[in-house]
Amino acid sequence: MAWLLWVALCPSTAVAQTDPENCLMCHRYPTIGVELEDGTARSYYVNPDRYLHSPHGRVKCSNCHLGFDRIPHEDGPKVDCATKCHLVEPSTEGPFSHVNMIEGYEASVHGRTKPSGQPKEHADDLPTCLDCHTNRVIGVPDDVFGRSAELTNETLARCQGCHTGEGWAEVAFAHVTHRMRRPRQMREVIYLCTRCHEDGQRMERHGIESIETFKETYHWKLVKYNDPNAPDCISCHVPMGYSAHTIRPSADTISPLSSYNRVRTCANIGGVQTCHPNATEKFARGRVHAYGDKVAAVDRAERHAELPGDAVLLETSAHRVAKKDLFHYRVLKFLTLFYKVLIGLVVGGMVIHQGLDYLRASKDPH
Amino acid sequence: MSVSRAKIAETRRVFYRLSPDEGGQHVVLVVGFTLLTITGFLVYIPDTWLEPVGAVGLVSEARMFLHRVGAMVLGAVSAYHLYYLAFKKAGRRFFRDMLPRLRDLAEARDNLAYYLGRRDHPPDFHRFNYRHKFEYYALWTGNLLMGATGVVLWSESYWNKFVLDIALVVHSMEAILACLAVMVWHLYEVHLGPHKYPLDTTWVVPTVSEEEMKALYPAHYREIMADPALRRAFVRDVQVDPPEDGTR
Repeated sequence: MAWLLWVALCPSTAVAQTDPENCLMCHRYPTIGVELEDGTARSYYVNPDRYLHSPHGRVKCSNCHLGFDRIPHEDGPKVDCATKCHLVEPSTEGPFSHVNMIEGYEASVHGRTKPSGQPKEHADDLPTCLDCHTNRVIGVPDDVFGRSAELTNETLARCQGCHTGEGWAEVAFAHVTHRMRRPRQMREVIYLCTRCHEDGQRMERHGIESIETFKETYHWKLVKYNDPNAPDCISCHVPMGYSAHTIRPSADTISPLSSYNRVRTCANIGGVQTCHPNATEKFARGRVHAYGDKVAAVDRAERHAELPGDAVLLETSAHRVAKKDLFHYRVLKFLTLFYKVLIGLVVGGMVIHQGLDYLRASKDPH
Repeated sequence: MSVSRAKIAETRRVFYRLSPDEGGQHVVLVVGFTLLTITGFLVYIPDTWLEPVGAVGLVSEARMFLHRVGAMVLGAVSAYHLYYLAFKKAGRRFFRDMLPRLRDLAEARDNLAYYLGRRDHPPDFHRFNYRHKFEYYALWTGNLLMGATGVVLWSESYWNKFVLDIALVVHSMEAILACLAVMVWHLYEVHLGPHKYPLDTTWVVPTVSEEEMKALYPAHYREIMADPALRRAFVRDVQVDPPEDGTR
């Protein structure tokens, strides 16, 4: 009986390699967790197999979860991705840390602190590392950029010639090739961004528009079509040479959306996707998303036809709506209305005409 | 006693509504328009339908390619039609017959009066009446607008975004108008009309009988019969075999 218990509790060999502290002895059980004071349940379950195949599969638990030396654990600090872990970073031979990314991230639109160090307004709305990074499973990809699986096998076999440690070459290969392909599918990227950006109220608090304006574009249709050249959020907001961690406001000259960098962003020369290689400054200047709530609110305000909520939207708007944008919005709105009326009148007239023809012809023997 | 079939076979007079050339142009137009409609509206189907289409793979690229092929077909047949109108005898006649005239307004008024029971018979229509002319010029207007905006969208790099936005609105709304017009106006005229159902075959076999000519286009019938040149252009005598059992 004791032997059976030992077998049940003993981690598998593969898990043991990555869990020398034997944390999974307890945390491998799906029911492990606590009930918080407010009644919500919090799970402490770690799926051993998924963890082993995650980017952190070779990092010891205590490298990130500090202060959990005792059992039962006492409260420890929250995981800080800037913590220096015990992995040796080969290029510096120093301890590894995500601090570079975090410093850039904090200075980006998504960071929670102002340059002065003060927290931003509505800081809780802003995403932290775990909102996007879910420690997903990665592995040796079947192919890299559509190349055959045989290429992967041959390359990996060459690595394994020198790197004989069990699983090491696979992890290193996955680590490199993971960056040679888009780790997320277009729809996943859209889903990730829209989780926050689709929330109209949350966006309103920060003076920006809901992502709905993107869904009215041809770009979105291409995403839905699963077109390999489809532009998702990353294609334009984080083009080649930029990092998702350092997204800046579009007015910032560093931003790929700034008028200084637009042509390069639209052309994407040298990038994997073929976008608008002949893009000119004239083409790249202008609004890519459809005109949304903000310009509509400005339009209504100028016509003294405000709707409830317009005032809040206008007050919180981070950027003024340019007169040119307002004019464009009005022209497009008028043109659409003109066509709707025209279609209604023409097709309505046709239906009446043909209806009369039908009624008369039905009576007529000819 | 057997009777020679040649003696029983009748000669019937048929009238050409369209010349074979015009019939051919229409066939190409149908192919181009249908291709453009299908590949164009594939962009506007609901998102939930787009995903399964997208899962097939490369549909988007094929759609774009075929849409441009359709545009080339329609552009080519439109250009040929202009050449036909200018340099062919039948084309010049087509052009003259299709020119808008003041009498079209009066005929439209009288025809509506006929529909409403205020006249006993429709007006004496010529070769092309106000319905044909409306459709023909609507097609030209649509073609020019769709062509112009299509070229703008195709050569996007040379335009600013505002021009592209306008082109996109016009291109998509005009497409809706064109398709609805074809569905309501043209398909009724040639498929669903009580005397046309299931299909008016004029575009395949572009002739009508003398009775139909007299009933539908009496003014044109009189013109043809009064002018030997027009008779040569529009009228043919064809041999019609009698039914197998010899009945009439």
